Amino acid sequence: MSNRATSDLGRISRRDFIKLGAAVGGAAGALSLGSRRLMAMEQELGGDDFSAITGAKRQAVPYTCLVCNIEDGGVAFVENGRIVKLEGNMDHPNTRGKLCAKGNSGFLHVYDPDRIMTPLLRTGKRGEGKWKRISYDEATSLLAKKLRDVIDRAQSEGDEAILNEIAFKWGRNRTGGGIHRFMHALGSNTMINHTNICESSKKVGLEPSWGPDIESCDWANTKYILNFGSNVLETAYFMNPNAQRLVDGVVGNKAKLVSFDVRLSNTSGFADEAYYPYPGTDSAIALAMAHVIMNEGLYDAAFIRDWTNVTAEQLIEHLKPYTPEFAEQESTVPARDIRRIAREFATTKPATTFSYRGPAKHVYGAYQEAAIHMLNVITGNVEKKGGYCLPRGMDWPQPQPEPPKGKTASLLAAPPLYPLASHHVSTHAPYMVMKGEAKVAVWMAFYDNPVYTYPSSHVWKSFLTNEKLVPFFTSFSPYMSETAELADLIIPDVTYLERHDPESMPSGLYPCLSIRQPVIKPLGGTQEFRQTLIDVIQKVDPDGSLGIKQYFAFNTVEDWMRAHFDAIPGLKDEGGWDLMKRKGVWPIYGKVDKETAKIVDKNGNEVEPEYGLHKKPVSAADMEGATIAADGTISKDGKAIGVMQGEQSAVGFGTPSRRIELFKQSYKDYGFNPLPVYKRLPSREKRSDELVLTTFKVNVHTQSRTASLKYLAELYHKNPAWINPKTAVARGIADGDLIRVTSGVGHIVTRAHVTEGIHPEVVAISTACGHSAYGRLAQLKQQEAAAEWAQGGDPDITHNVWWNDKGVHPNPIIRLSVDPIGGSQGWFDTLVTVSKAEPGDTYGDVEASVDASVKDYEQSLQRGLAPGQSQGSGHRLGSPARAGRAWRWALRGKWTVVSCQLSVSSSLSELRGA
Amino acid sequence: MQTSQQAALRESVPVVSDELIAERAALAGLYRLVARCLEEEPDRELLRLLRGELREPLAAAGWPLSAEFLEDPEDVLLEALAVEYTGLFVAPGGVSPYASVFETGALFRAPCDRVMTAYREAGFDYQRRLSGEFPDHVGTMLGFLGHLSEAEARAWQADDTVAADQARQRHDRFLREQLGPWAPGWCQRAARAALQPFYRQVLQFTEQLLWQTLGEVTDRRGLKELMAQNQREPKKLDYNADFRKASGL
Repeated sequence: MSNRATSDLGRISRRDFIKLGAAVGGAAGALSLGSRRLMAMEQELGGDDFSAITGAKRQAVPYTCLVCNIEDGGVAFVENGRIVKLEGNMDHPNTRGKLCAKGNSGFLHVYDPDRIMTPLLRTGKRGEGKWKRISYDEATSLLAKKLRDVIDRAQSEGDEAILNEIAFKWGRNRTGGGIHRFMHALGSNTMINHTNICESSKKVGLEPSWGPDIESCDWANTKYILNFGSNVLETAYFMNPNAQRLVDGVVGNKAKLVSFDVRLSNTSGFADEAYYPYPGTDSAIALAMAHVIMNEGLYDAAFIRDWTNVTAEQLIEHLKPYTPEFAEQESTVPARDIRRIAREFATTKPATTFSYRGPAKHVYGAYQEAAIHMLNVITGNVEKKGGYCLPRGMDWPQPQPEPPKGKTASLLAAPPLYPLASHHVSTHAPYMVMKGEAKVAVWMAFYDNPVYTYPSSHVWKSFLTNEKLVPFFTSFSPYMSETAELADLIIPDVTYLERHDPESMPSGLYPCLSIRQPVIKPLGGTQEFRQTLIDVIQKVDPDGSLGIKQYFAFNTVEDWMRAHFDAIPGLKDEGGWDLMKRKGVWPIYGKVDKETAKIVDKNGNEVEPEYGLHKKPVSAADMEGATIAADGTISKDGKAIGVMQGEQSAVGFGTPSRRIELFKQSYKDYGFNPLPVYKRLPSREKRSDELVLTTFKVNVHTQSRTASLKYLAELYHKNPAWINPKTAVARGIADGDLIRVTSGVGHIVTRAHVTEGIHPEVVAISTACGHSAYGRLAQLKQQEAAAEWAQGGDPDITHNVWWNDKGVHPNPIIRLSVDPIGGSQGWFDTLVTVSKAEPGDTYGDVEASVDASVKDYEQSLQRGLAPGQSQGSGHRLGSPARAGRAWRWALRGKWTVVSCQLSVSSSLSELRGA
Repeated sequence: MQTSQQAALRESVPVVSDELIAERAALAGLYRLVARCLEEEPDRELLRLLRGELREPLAAAGWPLSAEFLEDPEDVLLEALAVEYTGLFVAPGGVSPYASVFETGALFRAPCDRVMTAYREAGFDYQRRLSGEFPDHVGTMLGFLGHLSEAEARAWQADDTVAADQARQRHDRFLREQLGPWAPGWCQRAARAALQPFYRQVLQFTEQLLWQTLGEVTDRRGLKELMAQNQREPKKLDYNADFRKASGL
């Protein structure tokens, strides 16, 4: 009271306070009031994190993501020895501090109660689910014995080809050469990747043309983007960095985005213009655009002259048949739009295309990719700021000594009927063994689930279940996948957050190295795969008498990593492996600007990527002793190292002529058309009651590995078939109806999602759902049979799993059909009928015939040799280059010469006879 | 106003007698028996003990070992029990024996820290024997109770009242707080999933043992609360086909 008496102020009522407050708030200069020290936490772009309970700063450990294959830079925050949060690594120049939903959820893998935490030895029949736990020591000893048995047999029979009976299959190999070292040490070349179910025809469409297997678009600086069959914003190769830069380009740089996809993906939804072409007709559209650009003189004459191996006149002649009207007839995209977009693309600078699985995952996908690539070349957008750039990666040395490759070629690893398929044809492996064309003694699988992920996946189940075909099967999976459950022995790897790998992904325009390191100690005493490889080799060759122990003479896994990183010039001076452990990535180009998301130096100036890599001069050291041919090609030691451009040398592109080879001699050598063509696919000539079945990925899942992650399963867990309203009405189908989708190998029963966002001749079903294994969440087994399912009382599943639908997987009914050039599986070439479900049909029914799929295999081989069906195609059999040419096939240790003029089936029977 | 737990603690302060000492030692033996049966696969030594010296006492207590268990060749039985153990408690799809999984749905969470703190307070550390093992394994936790009960019995024998009281309090608190809310119910579910009669018996016996001892350290109200917690079942959704029929992504 006394204070009031002495106050300078009279009594201020509540009303007065409020009136004053309103006046202050409304004053013109009010924005300058308030603390100038406080700022929203979001203003900081990451790198630090604090315990919500104690306030203590959490330990931050950099790593490289591996939930999918994009290898984003991440930081794991660790508290009390547990991973509590993941976020992007701000030092990574390409992913710039951002992870996608999958990456943010990755730590759930670590603590998943369905994780395999100890080696398991099968005790019942294959796939019966009876196991006995054993130690890592016992498990690696058992595998080593099985491998040593093969080596001993090869030695006693004097036949090194027997070593190829040791087969290693992977779906995702980010070991930086670890598996190759292991298999080469064992003397086997039977390493089977997964690339032909991924994007191999894209790679084979690009590599002979300019060297690398993928493009790196300068999205942020471009003005025009043509997207062919890629869902850049959600799932495509380098999704996270590409999506960031695409948005920068479209929103920040006002670039125009034109998208071609059979489905209204979120990328097409984001586009300025979206078109729904008929599946497999992308090259018709791209060639028609090239036709317009060339015929209307909109091309970059200087670039074609200086940097390609064709002339403008040759291209004009080659492109004659591909008019926009022809393309409209094939693709259903209007000719006037094709013509207009071609003109816009050619006259808007800079511009770029991007393409991924849509065009490539067809029979003849390699042609489609080559046709799209050509658009960038003829418009001179290659290696320009804002254009279509070469991928930028970095290499690291392998520890020495390094084992040599096995001495005998492996049929399984590289089926010889596909000489251009440089990324192999993994889909054929089970069929080849089933038909007696190759033999397996020990099958090993790492990050691989073909019983779920492959076309006609039931064939893989049949194959891996058969103990005569696969006498011993070891899986390194930490999860009980559809494939791991068929193994004889499981030696579980740790998760990606608990192990070491070297990495360098060309995920943007800044080349960098990155690492994977254990952000926590492997949980529960589990053992990382790299240590398992060391242990197995040391047990195969305990006294070193086989000469292979030396290749795995690492005291620790970290020593192995040091051998990769400690000798790299530049990095070595900055700390080598120790620096990598601290930063996770190298080099550090600068900081991410908060406003522009550009990489900036300490003065705030943008650190621009390097462009025009092909124009860099050949080094003086390399020029010494080099010869220059009449056409300007610079060669040294029998290898082209550059090309003269006037008086200047330039390193050029990774081709024999060091130019972009739109004319591919290798294609011609094997009877294919050396220039990009459009080939009408059988799916374009379907019956009117048939539809083309396509699949797609979604933004919160990989193909198979994420269905067990709670955050992601809640976001997306069922996959009804997308069908156009017109198509649905014609079949009496309404939204949500139970439907039967039938292909030549079987049928599935699922539900219809009726939507305008799909081509009327297409039915589309996503992957990632419909697991029959992979844990309680992926299978929803707890919901199917709570009493039988060993719940463990998981309260998260008890209370929070509100969904009751795990989806239906389409892969069993997808038919095997392979691109004879690039080797890709034609994922989008299966014809189906769609009808209302029949009496007795139940949601989730799957029926598929192994015999029917084996016939598809035979037909797929024959299709590769069948006469061409459309214009512009010089086909293998029709090519004079092919006549009389012979391949050498290594089979069971004998070299057999087979004339290429034999049909495939007769070749195979002859080989069997041999 | 005192809580039910405080009341339980007060009530559990024992009066020393030879009978009490014998009881605590016997309880230690029971804990150790079930801990050994649940923490890892039986070995030859355990098998011989069960089929030999303990056969009649077990039967007298109402745990008659099956004819197969008693008569099968050792190697055959050990193999069968190892397979059953793996399928039941180790391989994916099993009944996870970890408190963390029961309470949080993930491995190696806060319950693991709590039991580890209790172990350390009592002077124990934890060392796994095989990969994939954690301190909050129900078998290890039962083994810890065995140690505490034995420590109490020894302390009484040595007239060390402070040590005995401390061991007893640790036992009671650990039983009530770390095992009580879930382990008996877990035993019941695991017993339902077991294929081998031996494991059904072990689990049913363990459940009864836990309720018996919980009854001694908890008042009626507390026991009622624990029983409710142990009845937690995975909730089956009321599935409405029409609700789910629309495809809505």
